[in-house]
Amino acid sequence: MTPQEHLAELERRAELGGGEERLRRQREGGKLTARERVDLLFDSGTFEELDKLVTHRCRDFGMEKDLVPGDGVVAGHGRVDGRPVYAFAQDFTVFGGSLSETNAAKIVKVMDLAMKMGAPVVGLNDSGGARIQEGVVSLAGYADIFLRNTLASGVVPQISAIMGPCAGGAVYSPAITDFNIMVEGTSYMFVTGPDVIKTVTHEDVTKEALGGAMAHNATSGVAHFAVPSDRECILLIRELLGYLPSNNLDDAPRVATADPVDREDAALDSLVPEQPNQPYDMHDLIHAVVDDGRFLEVHQYFAQNIICGFARLGTRSVGIVANQPKVLAGCLDIDASVKAARFVRFCDAFNIPLITFEDVPGFLPGVRQEHGGIIRAGAKLLYAYAEATVPKITVITRKAYGGAYCVMASKHIRTDFNFAYPMAEIAVMGPEGAVNILYRRELQHAEDPAAKRAELTREFREKLANPFVAASRGYVDAVIAPRLTRAKLIAALASCDNKRDKNPPRKHGNIPL
Amino acid sequence: MTRRKVLIANRGEIAVRVMRACRELGLGTVAVYSECDRTALHVRTADEAYLIGPGPAADSYLRIDRLIDVAVRSGASLVHPGYGFLAENEDFAQACLDAGLTFVGPSPDAITRMGHKTAARRVAIAAGVPVVPGTEEPFAEDLPDEALLAEAARIGYPLLVKAVAGGGGKGMRMVPTRADLLPAIRTARSEAGSAFGERAVYLERRLARARHIEIQLLGDHYGTVVPFVERECSIQRRHQKVVEESPSLALTDETRRAMAACAAAVARTVGYTNAGTIEFLLDEDGKFYFLEMNTRLQVEHPVTEVVTGIDLVHWQLRIAMGERLTIDPERALTPVAHAIECRIYAEDPDQGFMPSPGLVRALNVPGGPGVRDDRGVAPGFTIPLFYDSMIAKLIVWSDNRTDAIARLSRVLDEYRVIGVRTTLPFFRWLVAQPEFAAGQFDTTYLDSVLAARKGQAFVDATDGDADDAAVVAALAAWFRAHQASAGAPVTPTSGNWQRAARVEALR
Repeated sequence: MTPQEHLAELERRAELGGGEERLRRQREGGKLTARERVDLLFDSGTFEELDKLVTHRCRDFGMEKDLVPGDGVVAGHGRVDGRPVYAFAQDFTVFGGSLSETNAAKIVKVMDLAMKMGAPVVGLNDSGGARIQEGVVSLAGYADIFLRNTLASGVVPQISAIMGPCAGGAVYSPAITDFNIMVEGTSYMFVTGPDVIKTVTHEDVTKEALGGAMAHNATSGVAHFAVPSDRECILLIRELLGYLPSNNLDDAPRVATADPVDREDAALDSLVPEQPNQPYDMHDLIHAVVDDGRFLEVHQYFAQNIICGFARLGTRSVGIVANQPKVLAGCLDIDASVKAARFVRFCDAFNIPLITFEDVPGFLPGVRQEHGGIIRAGAKLLYAYAEATVPKITVITRKAYGGAYCVMASKHIRTDFNFAYPMAEIAVMGPEGAVNILYRRELQHAEDPAAKRAELTREFREKLANPFVAASRGYVDAVIAPRLTRAKLIAALASCDNKRDKNPPRKHGNIPL
Repeated sequence: MTRRKVLIANRGEIAVRVMRACRELGLGTVAVYSECDRTALHVRTADEAYLIGPGPAADSYLRIDRLIDVAVRSGASLVHPGYGFLAENEDFAQACLDAGLTFVGPSPDAITRMGHKTAARRVAIAAGVPVVPGTEEPFAEDLPDEALLAEAARIGYPLLVKAVAGGGGKGMRMVPTRADLLPAIRTARSEAGSAFGERAVYLERRLARARHIEIQLLGDHYGTVVPFVERECSIQRRHQKVVEESPSLALTDETRRAMAACAAAVARTVGYTNAGTIEFLLDEDGKFYFLEMNTRLQVEHPVTEVVTGIDLVHWQLRIAMGERLTIDPERALTPVAHAIECRIYAEDPDQGFMPSPGLVRALNVPGGPGVRDDRGVAPGFTIPLFYDSMIAKLIVWSDNRTDAIARLSRVLDEYRVIGVRTTLPFFRWLVAQPEFAAGQFDTTYLDSVLAARKGQAFVDATDGDADDAAVVAALAAWFRAHQASAGAPVTPTSGNWQRAARVEALR
């Protein structure tokens, strides 16, 4: 065999992974193979594989006879929309995708390179867990990866896709990364599986109900996206990367649009209902304002009383945080605060400007909320907004009450531009609540308490529940017509292009975790 | 001397057509447009353009006050009305004169006398021209039913009820028998009332198997009237001309000259000036009858221009500016080619010719020898709902009718309009009909063959078409997946990553 033939044979075996039969079963399960996933992720023909010939070093349990070049992970780099990206894809057909010393070393190599080059890392997870035959060496591999996930956090974007099993300690790598995408029906994540749970707590639960895509998207908030198939998963990663910079020093790509920067939308003038208690869908405002109506929502199924996601305004990538009056009247609760806090910190870490659409009646009342730590959770969001040094722009569409007013990117926590619609109500609380407290005695003694209350409420509303008091103090920079929202936001954003601001030198702040 | 300017009080293809003539004659052009026509071709073609109001014609193209105002503001000295809108409105013509503007058309008096159908019939009779048997005067509204029935019986069934102010089939009703008369008069009156603001109607005998033949003419201010070779306009759908050609197969040279002489006589009787058209019906026996006069440029004027080589719009403008008509009358009556025009509309022939307004995404306009495309629509324009949905007039010509039809067939195959439904598939079908090829048709031909088709589709996708569509869809999907995925960067990343590290390393 010539050296060329030898190489060809090794490469053929690497590409065959766990063999035809296992590849067939992978496909029959509705999944793509590791190589198919990688091919789909990168621009056609740009993937450059590394460590294709690496094999494991286990010499026990007969493993020495079972050597597959590549050792169950496809790793390398390529281009996504022309920009360099590093990726690894675990191959379930090779030892169940289990993590060996060498397999981990390949992942670590890719992450170290990405950290040097300032390029995002995409992990495509499909693994049964640790390579048990290797013992603590395999665990060391996990820890090596976790350390790098942590050090890379806030330096280069890290995206994890769960495209098969991801259980036990393995979940902590995706958990540290910035975004988790789960494929419906074929992926699951948990620290302890149904069997262990059955033994310990006697709870009966299926894998899907415990750690399936929707369990983590809607209930736990561990996953940020749910997608119906591998293909859509990969395309979503590509789309998401388009909104992100390659690292924390570069800017996100700007994307040309035919959508005029000064496009007015007359429908917005009537979007916010006159009745303060009538809900509306904040998505309508977001879609009407952003470039071409395109909005990539993050955590779409989790804590729906707040909306987070990416869009572009006048070609610039922005992170949008918006209260959703349609769900829980847009109140901030524990989940919503934590969800938005993490999103705000991501945007700040990667210099993506933050646009806040605010219609918040306050924090959600209740014993469960208080005992669940709404104080701690609300503090996270406040902290995140306050420490953020990226361009921050806020539009108060209707209510901005109490502490929630302070939290939601108010002027006082370094927001660059604060706008309010003419019908906005900025106050300590809603007029009804305020009147009940301020005039308790008068109301008790009034001849017609209902009429008196109505009169006092009206008076309060006129005096305080409007944007003009805030505007007269400069807490709101401008009161704007809703139809002009897009033009005003883009003008403000463009003026922030060279913004610089910083926090005091410190090892790191102590966000109330 | 400053250049004279012409205000074109119209839109679409005819506005573009007139502007082209103006440009050739060294005249400035002033367009007017409604809000939905802001990006229309006629606006882009003109030297200057003025907004005259919102989309509905009554608020824009029919607003005499605004048109006169624009003419005065822009310094235009001539006003060309095109066809349709205010082209046959004597008040508009008068308003132009009152404002010191030259109206490119006949005098208000000629419009009044020839525009009213019963009045026009009286002129024709006075000029010794045969007219279709019918009532001489419009009926009084309160005429008793018995009198109406008696008058109808005198003329003889089948009959047509026609609006005095009518045109384009509006306010016109067919009356096959006595029982249909009174209801027909009622509906014709109300239709005419809403369409023209005048309810008066009259009766006319309906000739069997008649052809619609018309004579174009030009008259100058010095008494010269020149009639032209005829146009055959018998291919009509619901009284709307669909295909026009010149010359007609049904006319001998002798009849042509007789008809032309009659047309000229009518025009001279009223001292007619500028362009006009006299319409005749030609019966099976070769006898012709005066039908009505159109006191304006016709949609189908290009076929006459093609077969005579005379630019009618040039002459309209030159006559209006006081020039003498110097066309050789023999030349005007001697066709040197055979020309056919198709009116291509944004209509869906498979949905009963329902208007199909909307965005025209792309056009492939045929070319090559013997083709003229008079178009008012450019790609990227949204055809509004408010007006006639014509996209273009396609005119082809060749030495003889057979060759012209072959050319038409070729040219229709080349024509592509993407974005809206058009009548192109219908025309492709029509030119393949043996009756059309043989020239055997009258004004009822098209309606009867269309009725016989019972709504059968003109567009019939073949397996090959389906294959093509699949290939195109696959290519589009491929390009999307491989290149155009969301977020394709347009600017290179800034390279701060490397720069920052270099600065750091020097500390």
